[in-house]
Amino acid sequence: MGSDIFEVGVNFGKMVLIFVMMVQIVPLLVWVERRGSAFIQNRFGPNRVGPLGLTQLLADAVKFIFKEDFLPEKSHRLVFYAAPIMALIPAALAFAAIPLSMPIEITQFEMLGSIWGPYRFVFQGYEIGIGIVFVLGVSSLAAYSLLMAGWASSNKYSLYGALRASAQTISYELALGLSLVGILLLFNTFNFQEIIVLQDKALAFSFFGQEVSLGWLPNWGVFYQPLGAIIFFAAMFAECNRLPFDLPEAEAELVAGYHTEYGGLKMNMFYIGEYGHMLVASALMVTFYFGGYSLGPWLTEETVNGLSQWIVESISPTIVYLMDIPFPESFAAIFEASQNKVNILTAFVFHGVFLGKVLIFLWLFVHVRWTLPRFRYDQLMDLGWKTMLPWALANTILTAIVVLVMRMN
Amino acid sequence: MMSAIFFYILATLILVFAYKTITANNPIHCALYLAITMINLAFLFFGLNAPFIGGVQLVVYAGAVMVLFVMVLMLFDLKSEIRAFSRGLFSGLLKIASAGLIFGILSNAIFKTGDLLGLASGGPGMPDPAGTSRDLAIMLFTKYLFAFEALGLLLLLVAVGAVAVSRIKGGTHAN
Amino acid sequence: MPISGVLLDVGINHYLVLSALLFTMGMIGVLMRKNVIVILMSIELMLNAVNLTFITFSTYNANLNGQIMVFFVMTIAAAEAGVGLALAVAIYKKFKEVNIRFFEQLRG
Repeated sequence: MGSDIFEVGVNFGKMVLIFVMMVQIVPLLVWVERRGSAFIQNRFGPNRVGPLGLTQLLADAVKFIFKEDFLPEKSHRLVFYAAPIMALIPAALAFAAIPLSMPIEITQFEMLGSIWGPYRFVFQGYEIGIGIVFVLGVSSLAAYSLLMAGWASSNKYSLYGALRASAQTISYELALGLSLVGILLLFNTFNFQEIIVLQDKALAFSFFGQEVSLGWLPNWGVFYQPLGAIIFFAAMFAECNRLPFDLPEAEAELVAGYHTEYGGLKMNMFYIGEYGHMLVASALMVTFYFGGYSLGPWLTEETVNGLSQWIVESISPTIVYLMDIPFPESFAAIFEASQNKVNILTAFVFHGVFLGKVLIFLWLFVHVRWTLPRFRYDQLMDLGWKTMLPWALANTILTAIVVLVMRMN
Repeated sequence: MMSAIFFYILATLILVFAYKTITANNPIHCALYLAITMINLAFLFFGLNAPFIGGVQLVVYAGAVMVLFVMVLMLFDLKSEIRAFSRGLFSGLLKIASAGLIFGILSNAIFKTGDLLGLASGGPGMPDPAGTSRDLAIMLFTKYLFAFEALGLLLLLVAVGAVAVSRIKGGTHAN
Repeated sequence: MPISGVLLDVGINHYLVLSALLFTMGMIGVLMRKNVIVILMSIELMLNAVNLTFITFSTYNANLNGQIMVFFVMTIAAAEAGVGLALAVAIYKKFKEVNIRFFEQLRG
């Protein structure tokens, strides 16, 4: 976990922060969803509580927390309470494994009277060598929460919803995994960090020994794998149980599917799980096909580094001057300009880039939900098994052949 | 020190949930406990420098096989069993005794031969955990290619067989 | 700081004893339970114990053959679970019975 107390502390704090970030994006997304749906359907949406209806979320949270915590008769107590917690785990574990920005190099510095050695902090919960397999494996655990919730409720509608949901999740996982094989073949690695670094340059590849380069485009996966990107994104909708594929909770047929019997905070945890899954889906989409936190030739690391150097150097003296009187000497050192601060600022700028890309995909999720109607169940299964799986297989074989031919020289 | 703590936490979880798996009355609880056991084992594999196998364990065992078990059990809608265990005091004792005998033989073998391996305490370990999945793939597609293809054939046969079995109508027990 | 490899300096015997305990538990499950699906699950537990042994030896000997073996065991376990469950479902649909004792009466 780290060599000394500072590194261990930072790593643990990072994990907590990332979990909090995943949980806290939910109210924001709910607000975006409600305002966005209102915008799409030409109505107002929540606009009474606070400016633009923003504090509606606070009111909702208070309502969720203070609702009665009830347990249906004949339900299985342990499983019933475990299911909402289980809904949070896969999304949180998967999100913590995705790099949100570039690693931060920290040179030696002095604090509390001792020297703290050079560190390298990754901008993610934990770095894991085989990121793709890990994320696939962890998100395949999401089926349990649905199954547990549906079965423990002792309700026919819940059970139907749970069975539908798990069948759907398992079927679409195949297309999901196969659509990623193209990316694996292209970039030759399981590691998210390496995938992003490979995409962080101008579009260039060798074609039958000829070097082709398009300097004005970044080297993103989507330009090599357009079909894979589409299949991946569609399969992710099914994995999140979002609207064109929200059969498990089709309210006209199944009341509310697997969470019919849930209310209050437990219901809220299912929501957090669903939106967390959406967040993971968008982050994966950005990481695999849209360059992660990098912007290729449009915004190179040198540019950002120079910019943050300038910001740190021009702002730090002001802060030191303002803080001059009341603080002791050791505290003022925090505000002095140094390479560490430049590195941290650069990482946060790229984190902003990443968040911007993720927000675009999150908006796509919302937009699709309020635009497309729901599938019938047989259409859903046909799409998964007879359309997306063959196309994903074809994409894999085609990519393998092309990669083989292009690397043969 | 840290690794010992992590190992003992994981090992305790694995053993507790494995015990719950074989003793729980409700078959669905059994399946869920077994799923937790397998997830913990996957994390043990991560710690053992076999991250790829750990990921496959999560995808295949915890994500597919156990979900299948849970789904089938939910379709059956079995109530808690009043007698989950087989009958007979003498035969039960005999069974436990034979299991204990197996454990005794195994642990005796482990402790007797531990010194022979010359790596009883913190052996060399894998050189490069990032490279292992690449090496694994190369071995799988060169040295073990025949076994790999045979497994593919086996899976195809199993898929056909499972569909055929689940669609059986009639037979000798037709009524 | 990849998180793999953090459990290595415990010593090989710990892993082997854990695996032996798991195997024994699976064996007790197979011998003692009546429900055929629980018996299948106990077999999975035994296979997992064997997998743990393979991975332990593979890691401590720096030899990848063990991991390949685990790969094969997992595939076969998945196949076995598929066929076993299909049979159990077929029998349950016909006779509404999952007791292993009942299966002795099946002829032909």
